[in-house]
Amino acid sequence: MDKKRIMVIDDEKIVGDMAKMSLEQEGYDVETFLNAEPALARLKERAFDVVVTDYKMKGIDGMEVLRMVKKEYPATTVIMITAFANLDAAIEALRGDVHDFFPKPVKIKELKASIRRALEKVS
Amino acid sequence: MKIETKLIVSNIVNGAFIILIGFFAFQNMNLVLTKLRFVEIADDLNASFLTMRLSEKNYFLYHDLQALGEIREKIDSTEMTLEAERSNIIPAIGETDLRKLEDLLRAYGETIGAANGTVRPSDEQEARIRNEGRQLKEYADSITQLERKRVNEIILSSKRILIFSFWAILVSALLISHFISQKIVQSLRQIEKMTRSISEGNFAQVATGRPRDELGTVIDAVNHMSEELAHREEQIIQSKKLASLGILTAGVAHEITNPLNNISMIAQTYDELYRNLSDEEKTDMMQKVDAETERIRKIVKNLLDFSKPKDANPREESINEVIQKTLTLVQNMIDVQNIETTVKLDERLPRVFVDEDQVQQVLVNLVTNAVQAMHAGGRLFISTRGGKGNGSVEITVKDTGKGIAPEYLPHIFDPFFSTKGEGGTGLGLSVSYGIIKNHGGEIRVESKVGVGTTFTVELPIHHLAKERTNG
Repeated sequence: MDKKRIMVIDDEKIVGDMAKMSLEQEGYDVETFLNAEPALARLKERAFDVVVTDYKMKGIDGMEVLRMVKKEYPATTVIMITAFANLDAAIEALRGDVHDFFPKPVKIKELKASIRRALEKVS
Repeated sequence: MKIETKLIVSNIVNGAFIILIGFFAFQNMNLVLTKLRFVEIADDLNASFLTMRLSEKNYFLYHDLQALGEIREKIDSTEMTLEAERSNIIPAIGETDLRKLEDLLRAYGETIGAANGTVRPSDEQEARIRNEGRQLKEYADSITQLERKRVNEIILSSKRILIFSFWAILVSALLISHFISQKIVQSLRQIEKMTRSISEGNFAQVATGRPRDELGTVIDAVNHMSEELAHREEQIIQSKKLASLGILTAGVAHEITNPLNNISMIAQTYDELYRNLSDEEKTDMMQKVDAETERIRKIVKNLLDFSKPKDANPREESINEVIQKTLTLVQNMIDVQNIETTVKLDERLPRVFVDEDQVQQVLVNLVTNAVQAMHAGGRLFISTRGGKGNGSVEITVKDTGKGIAPEYLPHIFDPFFSTKGEGGTGLGLSVSYGIIKNHGGEIRVESKVGVGTTFTVELPIHHLAKERTNG
């Protein structure tokens, strides 16, 4: 069986780097992006099982990514992380059918567990 | 001299003048009364003299001795009248004239007495009687006429004096009221000018030609208030800064979350994978932790720098750098509102002599206002450029917010004026205005409801440097 494919979008480079190191350890295929435009372009080329995106980004932001992914690739799970622990943002994201919503600082174990649950649900 | 004293003195002077004139008029009236009383007596006397002369004529024409008796009788009664009315006559014509009249009367009486019993007087006697009778009558006539003339003169002069004093009092009253109101108006203007300049944030003392009166006291009080305000302004600047700090802290807390998350994720990854990590990877991760810590330190330092109360400390600064530093404080507040920021800084700007801390505070105020005026998705433009004649720099903060109603525009720099309801203290722009004024600069606003607002700050390059060398 193919490796599950995970995309991480965050304008903080370290977030992508650490998530990649940690998630690859679990056997996932991980690609990281610093902003949404190239990430969305990449989605057109390859299907991803899970997209982990930052909420607040320059240009296209996390909510926009969520909407576009849900519209174009309904099978893909979206998990959102954010530095703004803001209730309104969380509610908005949940309405947009986000799988999970993590405030920063992110607990990597919880993120992994969330990804696992999402993949189990799909399969 | 106090205005009150001046008013009292001028009123007393005018009053004394009026009393003096009244007294004078009263005296004149008395004199006229005396003279009139005399004229009355004189008329009686004249009538008597006329009778005497008629009897005299009868005596000469008809040789009537009874006529002589009648003259004698009249002379006696006239002498009695003169004696009885002495006290009324002397004040009118004086003692000399009275004695002269009495002498003439006595001489006439003696001549008449000499003629007693003589039916046909000698020519010489007749001539003497006629002569003395005529003299008596003429003298009495002349006195009466003179007195009538004098009465007329007195009344005329009284009239003239009254007319003159009427004008004199009128003119002096007008002059005094004009002078005093002029003084009051002048001083009020001075006070108006002072309060206006105070409301513009200029607390300079106005002391030129301070009058020593009530208005001087008012000016002193305004000066004192101005001093106090200058003192309070520092406190207001500081308290306003603390208010901005509240807003900034929320943003900065978010700002710190990202590096904090980075450190946390590095730590978690390291903890999980350290057995499989190469030395290079470990070193790299630790260096990243250090860099992220430095990032937090910088943010906190900016915030602390901003919050610390500082004495005005003007130095040569790059306005562009001041703006960049300010942006680190407000960036998060801007991001939260999903506002797109365009920063366009003119790199060729000269350095400007300013108090960095204060200018930063103005920028924080302007950006905070702009952000609060916009809904999510607004656009904020911050730009710098050289000002008029290269002697100044211009900072522009422009938003696409709801704008300010034209009727509010003239008041937005007034202290405690706010359109934000309970959210605003109404001090931000007034404090900003004060700061820019102190820098010798200008802060201007243009706004269109529904389109947006543009604040322009113009800072002269050398103003504070000059102030420092002068002061």
